[in-house]
Amino acid sequence: MTATTAESGFFVALNQGRWAYLRFAAYVGAMVGIAAMAMFGVGAYEENAFLYQILSMKGVIWGGTGALAGCGLAVIASTLKPTLQDAKSARNFVPWLDGFVLMVALASIWALFEPAQAAISYDDQSNLFAGRVIMAMNVIFIFSSVSYIAYLFAPDSFIGRIATWSAYSGVFLGGSALLLRWHESYLFDLEIGHAPVSNLYEVFILLFCITAAVYLALEKRYQAKAMGAFVMTLVSAGVFFGIWLDSVGQADIKPLVPALQSYWMKIHVPMNFVGYGSFAVACGAGMAYLCRYWLESNGGKSKMLAIFPSLDQLDQLAYKAVAIGFPAFTLATILGAAWAAEAWGGYWSWDPKETWALIVWLIYGSYLHARVSHGWHGKALAWWAVAGFLVTVFCFLGVNMYLSGLHSYGQLS
Amino acid sequence: MTSAACLANMPRMQSFPELLKYVWQRLGSMSLAIILLVVLAIASVIGTVLLQNQDQADYLQQFGPLWYWVFRSLGLFDMYHTWWFLTILGFLMLSVSACLWRNVPKMLKEMRARKPTLSEKALKNFKYTKRWQLPASTDIAPLQASFEKRLQGWEFRPADEGGRHYIRADKGRWHKWGYILVHSAILVVLIGGWMGAQYGFRGNMAVPEGKSEKEISFLQGTETGHLVMPFQVRCNSFFIDFYPTGAPKEFRSNLTIIDDGKEVLTSDIIVNEPLYYKGVRIYQASFGDGGSDITFKMFHMDGSEAITTATSQVYKTWKDPASGIELKITDFKPYNVENMANPGEAKNFQDLGPAVEYEMRGPGLKPVKIKAFMNPFIDGDGNNQGSFMMISLTGDAADFKPVALGLDLSNPVEWKLFHAFMRHLVAATSGGKQTKEANLAAFKAAMNDVFGEGNRPEGFQAMAMRTLQAVNMLPQLPWPLLPMLGDFKLHYYTGLQLALDPGMNVVWVGSALLVLGLCIMFYMPHRKLWLIIQAQDDGMAVTLAGMANRNHLVFDKDFHDLFTKLDDDFAKLSS
Repeated sequence: MTATTAESGFFVALNQGRWAYLRFAAYVGAMVGIAAMAMFGVGAYEENAFLYQILSMKGVIWGGTGALAGCGLAVIASTLKPTLQDAKSARNFVPWLDGFVLMVALASIWALFEPAQAAISYDDQSNLFAGRVIMAMNVIFIFSSVSYIAYLFAPDSFIGRIATWSAYSGVFLGGSALLLRWHESYLFDLEIGHAPVSNLYEVFILLFCITAAVYLALEKRYQAKAMGAFVMTLVSAGVFFGIWLDSVGQADIKPLVPALQSYWMKIHVPMNFVGYGSFAVACGAGMAYLCRYWLESNGGKSKMLAIFPSLDQLDQLAYKAVAIGFPAFTLATILGAAWAAEAWGGYWSWDPKETWALIVWLIYGSYLHARVSHGWHGKALAWWAVAGFLVTVFCFLGVNMYLSGLHSYGQLS
Repeated sequence: MTSAACLANMPRMQSFPELLKYVWQRLGSMSLAIILLVVLAIASVIGTVLLQNQDQADYLQQFGPLWYWVFRSLGLFDMYHTWWFLTILGFLMLSVSACLWRNVPKMLKEMRARKPTLSEKALKNFKYTKRWQLPASTDIAPLQASFEKRLQGWEFRPADEGGRHYIRADKGRWHKWGYILVHSAILVVLIGGWMGAQYGFRGNMAVPEGKSEKEISFLQGTETGHLVMPFQVRCNSFFIDFYPTGAPKEFRSNLTIIDDGKEVLTSDIIVNEPLYYKGVRIYQASFGDGGSDITFKMFHMDGSEAITTATSQVYKTWKDPASGIELKITDFKPYNVENMANPGEAKNFQDLGPAVEYEMRGPGLKPVKIKAFMNPFIDGDGNNQGSFMMISLTGDAADFKPVALGLDLSNPVEWKLFHAFMRHLVAATSGGKQTKEANLAAFKAAMNDVFGEGNRPEGFQAMAMRTLQAVNMLPQLPWPLLPMLGDFKLHYYTGLQLALDPGMNVVWVGSALLVLGLCIMFYMPHRKLWLIIQAQDDGMAVTLAGMANRNHLVFDKDFHDLFTKLDDDFAKLSS
C-alpha cells in the first residue's frame, strides 16, 4: 500500500517542506495569539461575543502578531536545526488547518445569503441560510455513501473519485454551516450568541464532519477506499437521525443555559467528537474487515476482493483510527473533568455521561491491551471495534435519551 | 481466559511463598488486566441505569420491599462508594503496580542497551529485510554515510563482529517511557481520587439573602451527614438575569466570607466561576425562595365586600383567629413561565407573573394546595380574562388545575361591582329566574352605584363579562376567605456547593502524565534499522533490516522508500 500522489507538483510543494512548516508555525502562532487575547487582552474574554472578538480588529492584531511571531520563531528554529523543515507534524496538520481556513472563507460567503435583519426572528428560524447548507450537506453525504457502495460493485475510478469528492464537499459544507450557525446565533441577539456545539443537532453535524474527515485522511494516506462504503454509511445513518431531529424542532438555536457558558465548552465538546468520530472510523474498518473475511471464507472468488485492502491492512487501519481516537478521547474526558471541577463542584461526579465515557475508555483501553500486549489480531478485534462503537453511540446518544443527569442539556425535549 | 483454564494452569502449591509468587504473577498478567477493565466497565453500568442517591422512599416505591432490600444491601443506591466497587479499583491498582514492578526494570535496561549486532537467527525473524549484492571494491564508509544521510534525526551505533560491519539506527527509542508514564498515571489518578475521598469533602448549603451559614450537608450512603466549615458564608444578594426569550441567563450570588468574626472576602460567584477560600471551592449550585415577605389580599366571601390584608413569610403559617383558616406558605416564585399553547401547537411560553403557593386548611374544609397569582390572566389577544389560581385537591403539585375566578381581583373596584351586581340581581329577580334582561338591568344599576349615574369606565363590557363569570364561579368556592397575592418582597436563598479536594492537583498531574504517555505510545513508535555489511568472496553483501513496534502501515511505506533511495545511492557508489 503506497500513497499515490495524484496532485500536481505545485500543491505537493505547498504541503511539504518549508512552506508547510512555515504555514504550520503561522497557524499555531495565530491560535496562541487568539488564546492570549482571550486570557490577557483588554476586555479579555467575552462569553457572548467571542466570535466577533476574533473577527474584530483586536482579534486580527492578536492573531496576526501571533502568526508573525510563530513564523519568526520557526525561521530561527529551522536555521538552528534544518531538519525541522521536514517535520512530520507540520506536514500532517497543515492540510487540516488549511481546510479550516477554507471553511471560514466558505462561511463568510454563505453569510452574504442571510435574510435581511428584519426577516430574522427567534421564533421562526427556518429562513436562516445555515439550514439550507446543512440540507445540502445531508444530500451530499447520502450521495457519497451511495457512490462508495456503488464503487464496491463497479470499481472503476470515476465512481470512486466522485464518492471521495462528494465526501470532501460534505465535510466543507457541514463545517462551514456550523461556523455560519455561530454567526447566526448572534443575529437574534448578541446575548444569545454562542459556539455551535451546544445541542445534539449541532454536535451531530460536527460528528459527521469529523468522521468523514478522519476517514478521508486515512483514505488519502493508505488508499483504503473500500472502507468508505462502511464509514460513509454510518455517517448517512446519522444524517437521517439529524433530519429527524430537525423535523421535531431540535435544530433551533437556543440560548445557552448558565452551566454551558464557559470557554471549556468550545474545547471539551469538539475534542470529544474527535474521539467519537475516530471510533466511528474504527468501526467502519472493523466492518470492512468482517466483510472481507466473509467474502474470503465464501470461496474468495468475489471481484470485490480486488479493491478491498488486505485483512492485515484493515486490521491496522482500525487500530490506526483507535490510535487517533483514544488519546483525543482521553484528553477530552480530562478537559471535561477540568470543566466539572470549575462548574459542578468536583472533577468527577459519577454522572451517567461521565460513567459512560469511562466505560468507553475502558473498552478501547482493553482493545489496545488485547492487541498490543496480548497479541490479538483479526476477527475478534474487528468485532471489538464494532461493539466498542455501539457502546460509544450509547454514551453519546443513549445516555441523553434514556438516562438523566448533570449532562441533561444534550437531552431531547 | 476462563477460570477453569486458570485452575488447570495452576501449579501444585508447595509452600505459602510459592502461592504468593503465583498470585503476584497472576496479578500483573495481561488477562487479569483485561478482565478487570471489562468488569469495571460492566459494574459501572449499574450505577448509570439505577439513579444514584435518590430518596429512599422513592426506591422503596419503585422496586417493592424485596428488591429494595436486595439492592440496598448491595449498596446499589450509592454504588460507586461501596466496598466491592472500591475493591475492583483496588485490584486494578494492584494489577497496574505488579505490571509496572515487573516490566519497568526490563524496559529501562532495554532502552539503555542498544546492541548493534544481530545474530543470523534473529535476522531471519525480521519481517522487513532487503539485500544487495555489491562489487567487492565498494567502500564501507560511503555506504554508511549514505545510510546516515537518509535517516535524518536517527541515532546510530556501529560495531564490527565476526567479519561483519553493523550499523544500528534507532528512532523513538524512548517509546517504552510512554508505557511507563501511562500506567503510572493511572496509579497517580487513582491515588488522587482516594486522597479526595479520604481527606476532602463536598456538600451543599442554602444561604438566604442577608443571612449566613456555616454547615454543609451531604449524602453518606443512605444517610445525610453534616460538617461545620471553618468559616461562615453570608449571602448578600442573589440575582437572576434572563435572556430576551425568558430563559435564565445567569445566576449570581454576592457572598461574603466571615472568618473568625471578621469579613475577609466579598465576591460574586456565577455558575462557571466558583470562589476559592482556604482550599475550599464555593460553587453556585441552585437557588430557591429564602423566606420572601408575602402580603395577602383576603377577599371575604361572606358578602361583606371586605378586603383585608395579611402579611407573612414563605415557609411560615398564617392563622386567622376569626375563621380558623390556616395558610401554610410553601413557595413563592416571581416568574412563572408556562407553555400556553394547546397540545399539538407550537410552544408558546408566557410569563404569568408572581405567584404564591400555600396549603389552606380550616374547620370543615378539605385541605387544598393553591397557587395564587398576583396578576390577572391576559390572553394572546390582550384581553383581561380576570384573576386565576391553580388548585390541587390532592395536595400534589402535579394535580394543579387552573381555575378562572372571573373578576380581576387586582382591581378593587371589580370586587365592589360584583357585590353591587349581586344585590341588584337578587332585587331584580326577587328569587325568580336569572334572565338576560334581569342581568342587564342589574349590571346597569350596579355600574351606576359604583361609578356614578351614567358614568362608564373604559372596557366596561369586558368587566361585565368577567362579573357574570364570577357570579357563576365565586359562590362555588367553599372557603370563607379567598387569599390572593397582594404584594411581596422577594428574598432568595442561594444554594451553594462547597468542596475541598486535596487530591485534585494530584489527579491533574496524573492526567497530564496520561496524555503525555499516550502521545509517546501512539505517535513515537520505536523503529530500529540495521545495515549489515559483510565482505564475501564474490563481492559484498549488504542487508537492510528493520522493525517497528507500532504503526506498521507507515513503517511499511517508509521502509520501502528508504530501500529505493538506498538502492539509488548504492548503485551510484558501486558503479
